[in-house]
Amino acid sequence: MQYELRTLVIEPRRKTFTNLAERYGDRPASRYEEGSVEIQATENFHYRPLWDPQHELFDPRWSELRLTDPDSFTDPRQYYYAPYVTARAHLHEAFAATLDYLDKRGLLARLPGPWAALLGGLVIPLRHYESGAQMISTYGCRFAYGSTVEQCCSYAAFDRVGNAQLLSRVGLALGDGSDALLAEAKAAWTGAAALQPLRRLTEELLVEKDWAVALTGLDLTDQLLYALAYRHLDEAALLGGAGGYSLIAQHLASWFADQRRWIDALQAAWAADPQYGAANAAALAAAAEQVMPRAQVAVGALAAAADELVGADCGPAVAAAAQAARSTITALTAPKEAR
Amino acid sequence: MTTPTKKVREVGVDLQESEENRAIIEAVEADNADCAVRHMPGLVRITTPGRLVINRTSVESRLGRDWETHEFQLAIVSYFGHIAEWDDDQIVIQWDH
Repeated sequence: MQYELRTLVIEPRRKTFTNLAERYGDRPASRYEEGSVEIQATENFHYRPLWDPQHELFDPRWSELRLTDPDSFTDPRQYYYAPYVTARAHLHEAFAATLDYLDKRGLLARLPGPWAALLGGLVIPLRHYESGAQMISTYGCRFAYGSTVEQCCSYAAFDRVGNAQLLSRVGLALGDGSDALLAEAKAAWTGAAALQPLRRLTEELLVEKDWAVALTGLDLTDQLLYALAYRHLDEAALLGGAGGYSLIAQHLASWFADQRRWIDALQAAWAADPQYGAANAAALAAAAEQVMPRAQVAVGALAAAADELVGADCGPAVAAAAQAARSTITALTAPKEAR
Repeated sequence: MTTPTKKVREVGVDLQESEENRAIIEAVEADNADCAVRHMPGLVRITTPGRLVINRTSVESRLGRDWETHEFQLAIVSYFGHIAEWDDDQIVIQWDH
């Protein structure tokens, strides 16, 4: 007797949810798409907010910057809960390993005096900046329209809590396990002259009504601050014999590279929008115009204080970062005919 | 067409069907215009006449993270053709003769 072996292919009745099949065609959707795209509530908002009856509860008009199809923007990192949490768990484990190493070798205790002062007096207070950034990102998550954007904002907000934790752990390690340095850092954030322009800017962004403008302003400030504190000073630390600083800075620098991926994609989507593109570009340029000088002053004050301590040409580094940030915005918002 | 066209032999790969590999399958579909995709239980066979290209950048854009071409080893079950090129940016499978 002979047997014939053959495969039997059973076509699934449907490959994904109907809305995704309509959007992308009838193909298996990724987990990211199934969990992120078109989740936004769009109708049956019975009551308008008492504090702003001009708007619906979820309303694209909360911002000047809009997308015709909010779900046309997708996170280039494709983060939904599981990959996001896994990626950040890796980040924090790697950071814990670094901190462990620093502790074992006494590298923080052996930081040259000016570098220890810089880390304790200027960098650790930035955990309060991260806290402010968390509020701004959360605000974005609430008032953005389109679940893919909201999701990115929400993860960015959690990231900021994480970053503040990283800095706090450095503070605890630098203070030999006591929280004295963190208390000093709080006092520095509210009192030290070098940090006041940055605190002022952060607080002004906190009260910005338009979430997208606030987010753009925060991102511009980030670009200067991260370029200074975790890239420029990182290199200067290596040359100045403060390897411990560099080991810490690398983690925040690599986080920021990850953060930029979705912000870049979102800004590009805003500028390229078929219907709102021109208005978006104008609003983006206006936001940059408004925030950039203030960001430069704020981070410049930090740079001047850092220069006084370690003399690492921080001023020009901030100016260069500002130039780079400006040209990115200009490239995005230049009128299409001019290209 | 007066010259008799030589029959082009097919090359192809069998990939395990998984969430991760779907990005690779989509990239191959996008980069090889005349490919045929056949779904089998747990397996996807992609065939093209003559030459099959896998580009790192197109996989990365679909996967949302960095992808190195050697990771293709994890996805592949079988292939037919010769691997003509396997560098950091591209994998090319074709017949040498």
